[in-house]
Amino acid sequence: MHIAEGFLPPLHAVGWTVAAAPFVVHGARAVVKEVREHPENTLLLGAAGAFTFVLSAIKLPSVTGSSSHPTGTGAGAVLFRPPVMALLGTVVLLFQALLLAHGGLTTLGANAFAFAVVGPWAGYAAFRLTRACGGGLLPGVFVAFVVADLATYLTTSVQLALAFPDAGSGLAGALAKFLGVFAVTQIPLAIGEGLLGVLLFRVLTVNARPELERLGLLRPVAEPVQGEAR
Amino acid sequence: MSGLAVDDAAWASAWRRRSPGDKLLLCLGLVVCALVLPAWPGSVLVAAVAVGLALGPARVPARTFGRAVRWPLAFLAVGALTSVVSVDGGLGWAPDAAARAGSLVGHALAGSAAVLLLATTTPMADLLPALRRLRVPAAVVEVAGVVYRLLFVLLESLSTIREAQTARMGHSTWRRSWRSSGLLAAAVLTRSWDRARRMQEGLAGRGFGSGPETGLRVLPEVLPSSRLFLACSALGLAGIVSASLAVA
Repeated sequence: MHIAEGFLPPLHAVGWTVAAAPFVVHGARAVVKEVREHPENTLLLGAAGAFTFVLSAIKLPSVTGSSSHPTGTGAGAVLFRPPVMALLGTVVLLFQALLLAHGGLTTLGANAFAFAVVGPWAGYAAFRLTRACGGGLLPGVFVAFVVADLATYLTTSVQLALAFPDAGSGLAGALAKFLGVFAVTQIPLAIGEGLLGVLLFRVLTVNARPELERLGLLRPVAEPVQGEAR
Repeated sequence: MSGLAVDDAAWASAWRRRSPGDKLLLCLGLVVCALVLPAWPGSVLVAAVAVGLALGPARVPARTFGRAVRWPLAFLAVGALTSVVSVDGGLGWAPDAAARAGSLVGHALAGSAAVLLLATTTPMADLLPALRRLRVPAAVVEVAGVVYRLLFVLLESLSTIREAQTARMGHSTWRRSWRSSGLLAAAVLTRSWDRARRMQEGLAGRGFGSGPETGLRVLPEVLPSSRLFLACSALGLAGIVSASLAVA
């Protein structure tokens, strides 16, 4: 759930835009460098952005019978790395605002900070930590997807609490309110997104092993040397 | 039909041939008015002007406009309600709950209507070149252009695969539905890579990326600016600002 257009006070909208800007500019520089050195990767980067947009259109089954949509930030962080996701995530948010009326233009900075910066970085950090602790690819992916989803919504709750502190209990009360409301939907959704990630990568390790090796997520299988058996 | 109602409306809009720069100025002006002017009467005026222009001269279908507002409404219902509830010593309403909720909903609905006016009258293909004029690097605009063009292909793949899965009882039980969703995401990702690779091979065969001039260069469509439209926009925005300041 992105913050709707006009919901944040002007100063907060500007502040979050300034906070997100360095990460998005860093991502833009990474993309410009990549396109300059390897023009053939322009289309792959575009495909990555389109996949992130489309992933949010997949309906996840839920216990209550209704359906929810994954954020896709975990997938982007693991597959394409956080700097590139900072830019691609912002482009996806712009498209979601203008094609689905989901999010907004003045809230683009705040949404980008949560969805394209904090979510991917937290998810990627959790992925690297799990792998460094000896976890396999699939446990790493599960943790990355869950953490990226929760970090995105935790940030959104902080943004809303800062903008609308509680009349009596101030920032702490407002944070408790927003976290409480979002937790009802977000904790099951984060676990669901983690499961989707595991199912996704289980298929990819079989069907798209060369692509995962090229992205550095799997070690290449050593080719048997001709005549070694003799 | 592209599969996204707002995009379809933008291509079919009566304002499709108007300059994107003109529409951008009008809509961003309305967005700023919705954000900074008092909710009464500023937001009401902005919302009325945005909806009136979209359904009137721009001839955007009312059903498309109405359905698109559902997303912001869902967020507003949760966000506005949560922000006006006080948790100090038990649940209760904040002292100025009604005024705060009204102001929040007013600002957000007016802003969303202004963004929707732009979205339902200007296709992304017209807006992306405007980013170049805002000094966004060409490579970034190019990647954004590829995202825009590929996402419709992938949305169509998503819909086709899901239909096929449903026809094969892939969503008949909770467990099967989860498995099908994972397979669906994987199929869309591998198809996006395959599409990108095949498009790249096709472009490489036509010399893309081999010379000093890189990029998917196309002839830009010239949509001239209208002085009358700009003058009316400026007058309308000035009217909203002065009416709001006079009442407030």
